[in-house]
This record gives sequence, structure tokens and C-alpha cells, in this order.
Amino acid sequence: MTFLDLARKNAWRMPLRTVLLMVSIAVAFLIYGLTASFINGAQGAAGASDDLLGVTSAGGRTQPLPMAAKSRIAADPGVAVVGYVKRLRGFVDVERNVVAISAADPDLLMTVNGKELGLTPALVGAIGQSHDKVLVGRALAEAQGWTVGQRVTVTAFDTPREDGGRDWRFEIAGIFEGESAATDSYFMIARYGYVNAARARAKDTVDAFVVRPRAGVSPGELAARIDTLFANSATPTRTQSEKQFLEAFLRQYADIELIVNLVVGAAFVTLLMIVVNIMVFAVRERTFEIGLLKTLGFSRLRILALILGETLFVFAVGGGIGLALAKLATVAAGPVLGLVFSAAVLAKAIAIITVLGLASGALPAFNAMRTPIIKAFRTR
Amino acid sequence: MIQDIAPYIALIGIRKAYRIGGEMMPIFSGLDLTIPRGDFVAVMGPSGSGKSTLLNMLAGIDRPDAGTLSIGTSRLDQMGEAARSAWRAHNMGIVFQFYNLLPMLNAAENVELPLLLKPLSRKERRLRVERVLDLVGLSGWEKQYPAMMSGGQQQRIGIARAIVSDPGLLLCDEPTGDLDRKSADEVLDMLRFLNRELEKTIVMVTHDPQAALYARRTLHLDKGDFVEEKRAA
Repeated sequence: MTFLDLARKNAWRMPLRTVLLMVSIAVAFLIYGLTASFINGAQGAAGASDDLLGVTSAGGRTQPLPMAAKSRIAADPGVAVVGYVKRLRGFVDVERNVVAISAADPDLLMTVNGKELGLTPALVGAIGQSHDKVLVGRALAEAQGWTVGQRVTVTAFDTPREDGGRDWRFEIAGIFEGESAATDSYFMIARYGYVNAARARAKDTVDAFVVRPRAGVSPGELAARIDTLFANSATPTRTQSEKQFLEAFLRQYADIELIVNLVVGAAFVTLLMIVVNIMVFAVRERTFEIGLLKTLGFSRLRILALILGETLFVFAVGGGIGLALAKLATVAAGPVLGLVFSAAVLAKAIAIITVLGLASGALPAFNAMRTPIIKAFRTR
Repeated sequence: MIQDIAPYIALIGIRKAYRIGGEMMPIFSGLDLTIPRGDFVAVMGPSGSGKSTLLNMLAGIDRPDAGTLSIGTSRLDQMGEAARSAWRAHNMGIVFQFYNLLPMLNAAENVELPLLLKPLSRKERRLRVERVLDLVGLSGWEKQYPAMMSGGQQQRIGIARAIVSDPGLLLCDEPTGDLDRKSADEVLDMLRFLNRELEKTIVMVTHDPQAALYARRTLHLDKGDFVEEKRAA
């Protein structure tokens, strides 16, 4: 037997109570694991690059930028390559089945962030065969059940065609995977030339330029230079990293991370109160035995460690089960929901388990530590 | 065996009082006692005479208000709580009336408890546990839990736990108070063996005159003072 075995055996003295405690901890950490995975992977923000810069209108994402700005941006010596994108939003079949299309130059896109999107020369070659070809992200393809060669029609919300219609017809030329599970692949890539030629309004404009800085150039400093360049123009710009851009985009609707953190934080505080309450009673029931251990020579610090070890054990098992279930759920859900259970999520969860385990054991442990032996023996 | 002449346990001018209902109730008002190494002393007396208080002070779980209390080379009256814990872990074993085994631990684990405080390997701890279980006649009972054992067997486990770390002093608080005569005699035979063969110094508080017969001498405590001493024939 070891000291840890003793803590473990103490924890299992009332198996039903311990199991219920572990279940409640497991549920809390399952929720935490899922929400943290959601935040981590939401809309590809986690997988988004800090180096890649997006240049949009300072007036908002809905304000287009003239294509002419591309050459001015490219002229900055810190810029390696400039791509551009026009975003279309629309639906397939029913209005709630919303999809997004990024209309870009496939070759430039390949150069700027082909690695992040998982683009290959074969895919770029495939989309180049015909003006209405598109590449579809793996997440979107799986969610819609689309396959290569299939024709799809997207009814645009805000980009009418020259012929007055809003239906855009495409043929799927390939499926891109994304660099990792955290990469947003819930959209399709169309050819800018086709979309620009066919749309009724705002021709020769883009929603954003995508800039890759040269090696050794600070993205932050380059972003500031680009914005300065257009500060007094008709279309002032706002340049952010791809990650900042996506996070800011999400915050347009609500600070999801803050809300989730508040909800999960409240759940953890409630859990802490419950476990402290149960542990105080559990240890109080054992006051006599605490006195016995002290009589055998267990010091106050060992008693403290024993009870903290017990609560840590309960949290470690319960939390471990919850996190394992969360991991399974993220694997089972696949990339469609954008859940990414990363090493960072795991490390943070382990830190929370440790803190909660110690915090919930602190009060009963201090009580037990301070109880005089004589007083403990009077409890039987 | 030969007892040392020099006192192993020495209590000089011990004073102890408890506050009960706002009033100080004196238990000892200058108690003196010396016990040589290797002695086996039974302490008898009516309830409230101070037997348990004496035992608690010898165990270092209670402190005198005044006076000197030394065991071996240690001055228990001057030690803080941490030092007394360490002293108990290395110098003293205690046997309780109601055995006080931990119900979630099996016999071997209960016996092993004091060894967790010593720098021993797992194998060394196991060997020591096996040895003392053999000594108390419970070899083969390692995996049994207290609830499956008779009172006599539980008390023998309690004795094994008290001696597993090889302390010089064994304190027994009514060790036969919860046992039938046959089991009580077995336990007392064991205590006598530990005293005679393993040279443990034993102080046993008891109400049972038959139990006291196993000791080398019996001290009668009344109203906080020793009133009579009998030596075994």
C-alpha cells in the first residue's frame, strides 16, 4: 500500500456517493471539453493563421474594395504575394441551408494560403478547367453529401446575376481537406473571374485582399503600413491577421467565448460548492479516524495531503472520464461542427481539474488538520 | 530479561486540569512516576481517576499544564505538535479497547499504516507486515477485512499494527475490555511475550484485575494520585 492507495481507499468508502460525485464532475468536464473544443475550433479561428493578413474596408465587411488597390498593396516591399476574395452567401434548396462561396483566383489562392486550405496543384488544375467549377471543403461536402462531379445551385442572398436571377450553378471539381481539423472547410471556392463577370453590381471589386508578408516581416507592422497607405483614399482599409479577422467576425454576433466561459465558470463554481459540501461531511464522519491516524504518527501535513489527495483522485477520475467522452464526441462529430479538442484544451482542463481538486479539498483538509486528537476521539 | 534501573519514563510534578462548565477541574496536582525500560505496568483505578489522561500524556496526544514528562531522551512536555507526531511514529505503539482498525483496509494494510511514515521500500514494508502477522498468529489473514474477523483477531491485528514499526514503548488502553475471557487471555499472553521476549516497555490501563496479573506491577490511581503499588510474585 502507498500513501496514494490510502487516499484512494478513503475515497471509495462510500462507493455510491463517490460514483455520483464522479458522474457530476464527469458531466461538468464533458460540457467543458465540448464548449472549449467549440471555442477552439469555432469557424476555423483556431486554425487561422496569425501571419496571413486580411485587408477589408474600414467601413465594414460589406463595403467592397476596388481591385485597383491590389497593385498598391503589392508594391509594399514587405508583401510577398496578394490574393483577393469575393464572398457570396446563399442557400442550397432551403433558406436555412446556408453556404458560403469564396470567389478567388485559384492560382493566387494556392500561393497565398494553399497550405492552410490543403489545396493541391491537381485541385487548382481541376477548378481551372471550366469557369463554373468549384472546390468544396471537406466539412461542407460531408454535411451536404456532395461528391465530385455533382452540380449544385446556390441561391445568393446578396449577389444577383446580370440576368436578374440569383441562382448560381456550379459543378464540383474537387474537395479540399484543410490543413488540420481546426481549419474551416465549410465553404466552397469558385473562380473570381466567373463570379465577377456574371454579377450585376460592384464589378471589379473584392471583399478582401489576402496578404502574405515576406519572411522576417512583422505582420503587425505591415498591417499598419497598408492601412496608412489607404488612410486618405476613398476606401480606407482595415488590415488584420486572419485569426483576428475571424474572431472579430464572430464577435459581430456575440462574444461567444465570453458567454461560454461565464456559463462554464458558473457550472464549475456550483460543482465546487457541491463537492466541498460533500467532502466536509465525508471527512467529518471520519474525524475519529483522523485522530487515530494522528495517534499513529501522521503529521498535520500528511493529513492535509491525504484529504487533498482524495479530492484530487475524485476529480481526476471524474474529470478524466468527462474529457475522454468530450474527445470521443469531437471525433464522432467530425469537422462539421468545428469541434477541436486540442492539446491546449486538454492542458487547460487538467489545470482546472487540479485547481478544483485542491480547492474542494482545502476546507475539509484544514478542518481535519486542525482537529486535536483528544477532540477527534470524543466523536465516537 | 533484565530491566534497566534508570527510568525510561519519568513524570515529575505533573499538573493537569480541564475546564468543565467554566470551572477548572484538576486531574493531577503534582503526579510523579518512573518506569524503567522493559517494565510492564498495569494502571488501574475508578473512572475519573486520571488513567486515560495519563495514557494520553504518555502517548503525546495531550500535554501536562506543568511538570516534566520524559520518555527515553525525549522531553514530551517541551515538544510541539509536529515533533510529538514524529516521536509517536518512531517510538510508540498504541493498542485500543475497540481495536480502531480502518474498515476499508484489509489486515495487512491496517498493520502497514505506521510503516507509511518510515523510509522503507514496498518490499521491506511487506516483509515487516508478514513478520508481525506471523508473530500474532494471523499469518494467512492478510487479505481479510476487519468486519470478517472476531474481536480477538481484530485486537491481535491492533497489536501487530502497534509493534510493526518496532517501538520501544507500547501503550494499551483497556486492550481486553471488549473481549471474552479466552480472547482476553490470548491477547494478554501476547503482551507478556512482547514484554518478556521482545523487551517492550508496556503501560496498560485496565479495569480488569485478571489482566493486571499479567503485568510486572500494578499501580492504583485514585483522584489523580497513585495510592497503591503491587508487584507480581
